[in-house]
Amino acid sequence: MTMDDNNLTFDKITSDLTHHIRINKGFMVWMGFLTVSLAVCLYAYSMQLRTGLGVAGIRDYVTWGLYLANFVFFVAASLIGMLISAVLGLIGMKWLTPITRIAETIAVAFAAVAGLIIISDMGRPERLAYVFIYARPQSPILWDVTVITTYFVLSLLLLFLPLIADMAVIHRKVASLPSWLKPVYKSLSLNFTDRPEQNKIINRSIRILLILLIPAALSIHTVTSWLFAVTSRAGWDSTVFGPYFVSGAFVAGSAAVIIAMFFFRKNYKLQDYLTDMHFNNMGKVLATVSLVYLYFNINEFLVPGYKMKRADAVHLQELFAGKDALLFWVVQLGGLVLPILFMLFRRFRKPLPIMLISIAVLIAAWFKRYIIVIPTQEHPFLPIQHVPQNFVHYSPTLIETLITIAPFILVLIIITLISKFFPVIPLHETAREKGIEHIKFD
Amino acid sequence: MDDSNTPHSNNESENQKGSSRRDFLKNLGLAGVGVAAGAAALYSGHIFEAKKEVSGDQKVLLTQDGKLVQVDSLEIKALEKNGKELHETLGREGIPGRRWVMVTDLSKCRNARKCINACQGAHQLRPEQYHMNTLQMQDTPGTAPYNMPKNCQHCDNPPCVAVCPVDATYKRPDGIVLIENDRCIGCRFCMAACPYSARIFNWIEPKDAANHQGEEYNVELNVPQKLGTISKCLFSADRLREGKLPYCVEACPNSVYYFGDENEDAVTNGTTKETVRLSKLLRDNGGYQLMPELGTKPRVYYLPPKNRLFPFEEAKDATPEKV
Amino acid sequence: MRFNKTLIIIFLFSLGTRVAAQTWVVPDDQKAVVAPLKFTPDMQKQGEQLYMKNCQSCHGLPGKDNWAKLTPPPGDLSKEKAQKQTDGEIFYRITTGKVPMPEFRNILPEDDRWSVIAYLRSFNPKYIQPNPVAKAAFTGRIVTLSMQYSEPMKKIVVTASEQLKDGQAGLASGVEIMLYVKRYFGKMQVGDVKTTNAKGQALFEFPADFPGNKDGYVEVSAMVNDPKSIMKTTPANATLAIGVPTDKPSLTATRAMWSTRDKAPVWILLTYTLSVIIVWGFIFYIIYSILKIKRLSNG
Repeated sequence: MTMDDNNLTFDKITSDLTHHIRINKGFMVWMGFLTVSLAVCLYAYSMQLRTGLGVAGIRDYVTWGLYLANFVFFVAASLIGMLISAVLGLIGMKWLTPITRIAETIAVAFAAVAGLIIISDMGRPERLAYVFIYARPQSPILWDVTVITTYFVLSLLLLFLPLIADMAVIHRKVASLPSWLKPVYKSLSLNFTDRPEQNKIINRSIRILLILLIPAALSIHTVTSWLFAVTSRAGWDSTVFGPYFVSGAFVAGSAAVIIAMFFFRKNYKLQDYLTDMHFNNMGKVLATVSLVYLYFNINEFLVPGYKMKRADAVHLQELFAGKDALLFWVVQLGGLVLPILFMLFRRFRKPLPIMLISIAVLIAAWFKRYIIVIPTQEHPFLPIQHVPQNFVHYSPTLIETLITIAPFILVLIIITLISKFFPVIPLHETAREKGIEHIKFD
Repeated sequence: MDDSNTPHSNNESENQKGSSRRDFLKNLGLAGVGVAAGAAALYSGHIFEAKKEVSGDQKVLLTQDGKLVQVDSLEIKALEKNGKELHETLGREGIPGRRWVMVTDLSKCRNARKCINACQGAHQLRPEQYHMNTLQMQDTPGTAPYNMPKNCQHCDNPPCVAVCPVDATYKRPDGIVLIENDRCIGCRFCMAACPYSARIFNWIEPKDAANHQGEEYNVELNVPQKLGTISKCLFSADRLREGKLPYCVEACPNSVYYFGDENEDAVTNGTTKETVRLSKLLRDNGGYQLMPELGTKPRVYYLPPKNRLFPFEEAKDATPEKV
Repeated sequence: MRFNKTLIIIFLFSLGTRVAAQTWVVPDDQKAVVAPLKFTPDMQKQGEQLYMKNCQSCHGLPGKDNWAKLTPPPGDLSKEKAQKQTDGEIFYRITTGKVPMPEFRNILPEDDRWSVIAYLRSFNPKYIQPNPVAKAAFTGRIVTLSMQYSEPMKKIVVTASEQLKDGQAGLASGVEIMLYVKRYFGKMQVGDVKTTNAKGQALFEFPADFPGNKDGYVEVSAMVNDPKSIMKTTPANATLAIGVPTDKPSLTATRAMWSTRDKAPVWILLTYTLSVIIVWGFIFYIIYSILKIKRLSNG
């Protein structure tokens, strides 16, 4: 710790972690910008609602396009909540405490929006309820809907439980809190008065959640990978797709957390809590999961590439040396191999460099989903003939791109709101870890 | 796992740990309740299969396809359904006792595309929408090119049906894989799962949608087509019910298609109307299926393109306009 | 050099096919056949529809010279070369066909074949239809068939009887018989054409592996092979228990991954239901505990 823990008081921590909870001009401008952008994208979606999925570039052969690639990306990014909170948390990595809420916020935001993306990819969105009414337990789509809902609720609870104590403090102590928000915090704090029975319930619930979160999180991305792996298409017909997707998800999620950490630290002045040590360690986490992901990438491409079965060969040739080669190699080298090499050095795990590396990794992670979803469909087993050119090669339309951007804006809105109105860093747990006595609740 | 090491825990006393262990046992009990409830739900889900009353009073009825059948009087319900519901029921039940099968003789196809036109006409399809499409194939660079009409293979292990989340596409007892576009949610998982690229989607307003507005939906013909739903070859289920051959089979001028019932071991040529034994036809001509290694068990057989009646020529038809 | 060889081969090949094309001779008596009806605009209209369905894919649209590039070339039927044939010649060619042209004997009834000719003639302004000749009054044999299954011989016995000139009934020998079995889309011929012996009988072996209905019944019919319609015949029909009883289960009888929800594999139903119940049981339990926090407060 760079901070002299002995000088800390609970009041100091409270003010450090909650001073940003106020409605200021910067927040209004940022939210205004996001809202206007979202409105533009929603207008694009209203056009799709009126005239059908044909406004997008997807057609009979490439039938899953940007929307589905985006969906996979969002599910992937949401998985980080489980890695940080459950896996590393249960192992007992104490340095993670200030990052848990960031990770859970990202998990909640991305999981919630992933569900919405699927609706934007439906030809008949008004029939969404049919998924439950006529639910077919053999379809991976039902599994996916089930596990994403479950994971979202688990993550939301895991975000909420540590907040109970924090909100009890906020509505009592934070002067900058707008008066109309006070009753909201008060009721959300559930009359928490730091009694042992209350703490016991919270702690036990958190433990159960942490344990449930691991299978739920593994399921969401494994099942999402099965949307592809249960088909016999070249490039999708793979037995390592589950772990391949899960490890890739950790890469995307870790990168997202690092980026969020960087901006929260800067904007909310959390330098004392999100220290270079945290970035250094998160850099190690990112490097580790990237190495695992690289390992699965090698499996995923080397094994079929060695055999070059007919359908695989067409697909792989396009990826390695054909139409998609530039994208493929930029993503694999620039988004995975080079970042790993950089991250081996401590100086690249400082806040700014690791944030820049994370941005590169995150962008590459999005395009990686594109590479997984689209090229396979351009090479079906039987030739594509007697159809218009735009059926043969997929190119996204403007409307489709706008509808694809909308989820990012939504995620930013959700993250902004959560981080603006709640402490980015768990208040109570930080105090506890530093051995500071709890405040008295009157 | 030690409580004190988790980021969310405080230093609880031994006593508290003990109680948390008791709570864990309580949770286990809860899980047990969950298991029991699950079993109950499962059981109630299947009870319908076992529960069948019999009165002993048998009635003789005439079925849709002109057969006399004996039915227990308790099983007879007046069909008070409207036409659409009736269509849906019949559409799901199929034609009893049949296993439809198609044989496509590649040696006779010269890409006349009559089948395609007939099909697109019957099913209100746009020029770029194919239930049936003739592909120009060349298996390896050294082998001869040939024309291959390709429709839905109506697999007995259909990967498309397996993935449907809402039972919108389903396999009937007579083998036909149908699509009910009143239920389809447009997720297109079936298209991704089909290795034969047999399925199409109504990306934009279907052809002449305005003219067909308000028409009663016929699941066996899949018309009117609906925006945002899947469409595919149906083996002309509506024609089979009338004892007629499918539209494509009937329209072929070159005797390419045979269609029939595997249970009868007979297929009828759509052009010559000659009926032959299915097993003999396949045996004598080296019949095969498309990509049998995928285990999809197609109901469409192909006869190899040997001794072709027509020389192969590159398809000269114009590619449909961009949509 | 190789190019020259190729040329020679192409030349020889085309010569060969030309010779083949010229060998499609129509017998003189068939050439003289004339239509039984006067060609009317209605006939031409119907002929046009039939032409579009059955002929256009090879012969193209009349007058447009857009026939398919086949060997031998199908040619435009509105042109001189086709039109200089007699109606009988065209009728014969349509009826009998010659690879790759299909024979339309069983595809188009006689009237339809004449309609197509009526349509084709509408492109020839010089054409004058010969006076129609209705079919001559019947003078040939009148044959009636009967059929039964002979258990000892394991054969189907078709007996042909005919009405003799003196009005007496007698057994008809030398009549060609075809045996058919009813299938869903039409009749299937069983075995070859057989000629009746002196006892007027033709014996048909019935395949041992032929599927019948679930009790093994097969609907069989016997007909006289009389392509030129020189006889008046009555076919015989019978439902015989000579097929293999066939009662295959429905293709959706078993539980499978692709079945409907009602027939989902049990393990999937179990796994899915249990997982959901267990996890959501815990979730509701946690929500319930959270609500308890409020009650446990100090004041």
